[in-house]
Amino acid sequence: MQRLSFHEEIRKNKISSYLLIGIVLAVLLTLVYTIGFVLGGDYFFFIIIFGTILSLVYVVGGYYKSADLAIASVSAKKASGTEFKQYHNIVEGLCLASGLPKPKLYIMNNQQINAFASGRDPQHAVICVTTGTLDKLTKQELEGVLAHELSHIANYDIRFMTLTAVLVGMIAIISQIFLRSLFWSSITGGRSSRNNNNAILMIIGIALAVLAPIIVALVQLAISRKREYAADSSAVKFMRTPTGLMGALKKIHYNTPMKVSGAVAPLFLAKPTKEKEWFMTHPPLSKRIARLERM
Amino acid sequence: MVAIQIWIAIASATVAGVFILYYNRFVRLTHQIDNSLAQINVQLKKRSDLIPNLLSAVKGYMKHEKKIITEITNARKALVSAKGIEDKMKAGNQMQSALKSIFAIAEGYPDLKANTNFLQLQQELSAIEDKVAYARQYYNDGIMSYNVMTNMVPGKWFATMYGFKKREYLKIPEAAKVVPKIEF
Repeated sequence: MQRLSFHEEIRKNKISSYLLIGIVLAVLLTLVYTIGFVLGGDYFFFIIIFGTILSLVYVVGGYYKSADLAIASVSAKKASGTEFKQYHNIVEGLCLASGLPKPKLYIMNNQQINAFASGRDPQHAVICVTTGTLDKLTKQELEGVLAHELSHIANYDIRFMTLTAVLVGMIAIISQIFLRSLFWSSITGGRSSRNNNNAILMIIGIALAVLAPIIVALVQLAISRKREYAADSSAVKFMRTPTGLMGALKKIHYNTPMKVSGAVAPLFLAKPTKEKEWFMTHPPLSKRIARLERM
Repeated sequence: MVAIQIWIAIASATVAGVFILYYNRFVRLTHQIDNSLAQINVQLKKRSDLIPNLLSAVKGYMKHEKKIITEITNARKALVSAKGIEDKMKAGNQMQSALKSIFAIAEGYPDLKANTNFLQLQQELSAIEDKVAYARQYYNDGIMSYNVMTNMVPGKWFATMYGFKKREYLKIPEAAKVVPKIEF
């Protein structure tokens, strides 16, 4: 088994989380500034201030409420301790094996086998599994799936992944608004093309608006794929055997696509939807199984 | 001249930083190990608390299985009175094997197997068995990182200086490692 330094992994994830927040904030402020300059005129400062406050609220809110948002978007329910005894017991055992606090446990109503973890740190983490996961997997396979999700929590992947989901969504929205309003103002003959300065700013603005969401999304996908391998190997580290997770992944092979919002798709254990190869959030199952077999 | 003083200040700050870093690392690992030991104890305690319930659940059915009942009662007594972690683990393993035989015997009592109270206890006890194993694994992981640090340079020098000594792994008793013999 390839030895991964988990502390190194965690440190990198924390740094890239902050880096991501910084970059997104910078992109946002540039966008807001450009929008204000191009469209605003007399309301320039009003738009800038309003836009800045809005972005900050969104980022801070996304950071603190990301788990709630993810849970709400798949309309999951809390898993009660008496009804889902085995689910609770397995998570408690794995928490003992990993030294993590017990996350809040949720259930989502779906017959496919899938699960995800979210939250900003291990103290505020949630795990959600589908009802299909509990019905179709054996105890050992369920343990493998939950160990994989707990690894995402232990490696601080949840913070990074949930943040990207929130922030990428926001950049996409603002870019859309900008492009549309630009289109609208060019029809009504706004003052946007009055001088050279403005024209340059406008080109930068358009380029940003078009490229930012694509670049951020591609980076997110590449990182997300790498993280799945890391989480698979830490799951083996917790359980000391790859059998359970391997069995679960083999069963997931027979999943049919699920209907979930694109923003939460990268959080899942296995990709919930069918996508083109280069837009995949997860490495192919066969590769993951092959890696586990070598451990 | 000023430049030299600045360099000296930087160098001594770095050295002090390394000393503090290593001390804190040792302290953090010691706490982690102590905490995981406490977790093992919590699980062992939970298990011994469930035993009276289990005994009262099976009593009505297993009137002729006196031997196994006393075995469990003794294991529980040993666990409650055990002091050190080694003794506790030993008593815990003794209880584990007693529980295994009681569940094996229960297979021969269809009424008992249909008893929801008994089934719940069985499930609970097997979950605790898993948790004990996981807690022990985490404890030994902690010991491993601690021992690696106290044995490797430069951690070794700091360990000697601060008085942190090598610690022992929790071993599985010899009896538990032997594959049970099947006799007919």
